[in-house]
Amino acid sequence: MLTPLLTRAGLHTPPTVRDRVRAGMHLHAVLGALPHLVRLDEEAAGIARQMGKVNLEFRVFDGPKVILAFEDGRIGLRRDGPSCVGLFFPSCSALNQMFDGGKVTPIPFKNFVGHLKALQLLPKLTDRLTHYLKPPAGALDDLAYRAKHIELSLLVGLAATQDLVEYDPKVLRVARELHDATMEYEVPGGPVAHVRIAHGRIEAGAGHLQDPSTTITIKDLDVALGLLLGTVDTFAANGSGDIRASGNLHIADEFNNLFDRVGLYLK
Amino acid sequence: MALYNFTKSNELFQRATKVVPSGISGNKNPAFAVPGSFPYYAERGEGCRYWDVDGNEYIDYLAGYGPIVLGYNDPVVDAAAEAQRKLGAAFNHPTPRAVELAEKLVTMIPLIDWCAFGKNGSDVTAYAVQTAREHTQRRKILKVKGEYHGSQSWSRSGLGGLIDSDFEHVHDFPWNDASAAEDLFRKHDGDVAGIIIAPYHHPAFANQDMPKPGFLADLRRICDKYEAVLILDDVRAGFRLDLRGSHEYFDFKPDLTCYCKAMANGYAISACCGTNLFKPAASRVFFTGTYYTSAVEQAASIACLDELAKTDAVGHMMKMGTMLQKGMKERAEANGLEVTISGPPTLPFMTFANETNFRRSQRFSGEAARRGVLLHPHHNWFIMRAHQPKDIKKTLEVADECFAIVKKEFGG
Ligand SMILES: Cc1ncc(COP(=O)(O)O)c(C=O)c1O
Repeated sequence: MLTPLLTRAGLHTPPTVRDRVRAGMHLHAVLGALPHLVRLDEEAAGIARQMGKVNLEFRVFDGPKVILAFEDGRIGLRRDGPSCVGLFFPSCSALNQMFDGGKVTPIPFKNFVGHLKALQLLPKLTDRLTHYLKPPAGALDDLAYRAKHIELSLLVGLAATQDLVEYDPKVLRVARELHDATMEYEVPGGPVAHVRIAHGRIEAGAGHLQDPSTTITIKDLDVALGLLLGTVDTFAANGSGDIRASGNLHIADEFNNLFDRVGLYLK
Repeated sequence: MALYNFTKSNELFQRATKVVPSGISGNKNPAFAVPGSFPYYAERGEGCRYWDVDGNEYIDYLAGYGPIVLGYNDPVVDAAAEAQRKLGAAFNHPTPRAVELAEKLVTMIPLIDWCAFGKNGSDVTAYAVQTAREHTQRRKILKVKGEYHGSQSWSRSGLGGLIDSDFEHVHDFPWNDASAAEDLFRKHDGDVAGIIIAPYHHPAFANQDMPKPGFLADLRRICDKYEAVLILDDVRAGFRLDLRGSHEYFDFKPDLTCYCKAMANGYAISACCGTNLFKPAASRVFFTGTYYTSAVEQAASIACLDELAKTDAVGHMMKMGTMLQKGMKERAEANGLEVTISGPPTLPFMTFANETNFRRSQRFSGEAARRGVLLHPHHNWFIMRAHQPKDIKKTLEVADECFAIVKKEFGG
């Protein structure tokens, strides 16, 4: 309500599309990977357990918000709802700077005194996430680490498409026409992730689906890693069978038009 | 029988991905069919058959995505092309073939008074759209949701490289819903230049949909009412339904028509045709390309259209297509499977009735390809004049085997 007034008074510059999309992706997709992180990583689950029961809100002025609900070492993710403590960012670009590794101090709000411990532990948890999303030298040689890196990166990428659908002007135009469908990405014996597309909204998750509209099978972790790093050519892999798409390929094509754009915003 | 393998196709494709974006661009990319169970590169053709680079032989129902209407290497068309090639392929000027071909089309297609030649379907659909905009001095074009009209940005396939304005002035309405089209005329009052439609709805990944009674006439009436242009994109179906154009088959009158695929049996040529009313606007649109006037394709087209007429090719293809459609349905049922056969007999398509994710279709087509019959799982098929009852019979025998595999794997 206030924002348009401030904007009109020249006291506020609305975020650029790019900043808005990136901020959404950072909260919804990158932080959105935390629930999966605690499933995959014992250390992260331990930190989350120590954080106790708390609904922690991230709020960006004239931007997105998200609520992370911690309980018993598990984390739920909501776009709205009650929270007991929050971190406030003055702009999308400030939030993005922090995710890019810059020094940004958010402003705590609500009952931050009562939840100091959780706030202090939070960076430890996000460091754990960074550890998996940005592999330290040599880490990828470890097979178990590699599988987790791939699963989390894939989940971040898939979840990030939702913010494209909402804010990327080019995608907005086609979002209405997206077919309702489900798509599964599978490395046999390894990570499995999926998206559900319904009424122009996209929701990413881990694990198998019952009879997905489309299945993308990636031969092994090496190919999957190559795809993430950009060292494997998707088309070559499709032709050679390293990636196999089956099911409704029209949907796969539609979705890939979006998925390919995530890289324009997230590295 | 040993099933086919595609080693050389795959080797070539791997080489291609190093030097060609996506290896093979567009709908000929392996990903559009059944990667691993389909050939990627062709070597030679003859009649209704072709051979891939691995030496595998196919009875073909894709016909190069349509242009092969008589059969591969048709001797009459090739002789006409060769005769022209000896004279010269491209000059500073058109050759007499340009006029002869235009006269032929104007005679063949009673509706039209003129035609202009391009190379691909996209050239002429874009030209028709520009002509409609020029004639009406309006911006908006209406098209049917899910219909393909080419790779140029106005028709916006995919997202890559498109900009906002590509989306701004082209609007979709559902096939068979004339009132939705009229709503768009009201919404963009005074700014709709025209409607572009295919003679029937032939999307990929879906059953083909014939026009409901009155739908095409309604579009005609709406275009008349709002003084807009009705464009028929007959690039795919043209000369496979009726040599006078598919509008005769469906009995309606467009203002501009576009042809390409079946014009020259594989030689690269397309045409935009129209009535006299639109000739001044068509003249004002700058329409050219280095090869738009090249003569070999025009000579081939003249010969191809003559052959189609002389041999009642459409009549024959209708018979072959009907035989294939009927046979497919029977064989599927005999195997305990339910299929939907759609499209006209000369451009048939088949889906499995109880699925939307094409897994049975992919299995079926992949198995058929590995047994020497090329039936696309996602795109309509094409009949050629070269198809004979014995080819259809052989095809149905292979289909029988493949239906059995599908039944075994999917249970129904
Ligand atoms: C109906 C229709 N219009 C236009 C085109 C575009 O033709 P081209 O690929 O020759 O540019 C096609 C091609 O498949 C088509 O089927």
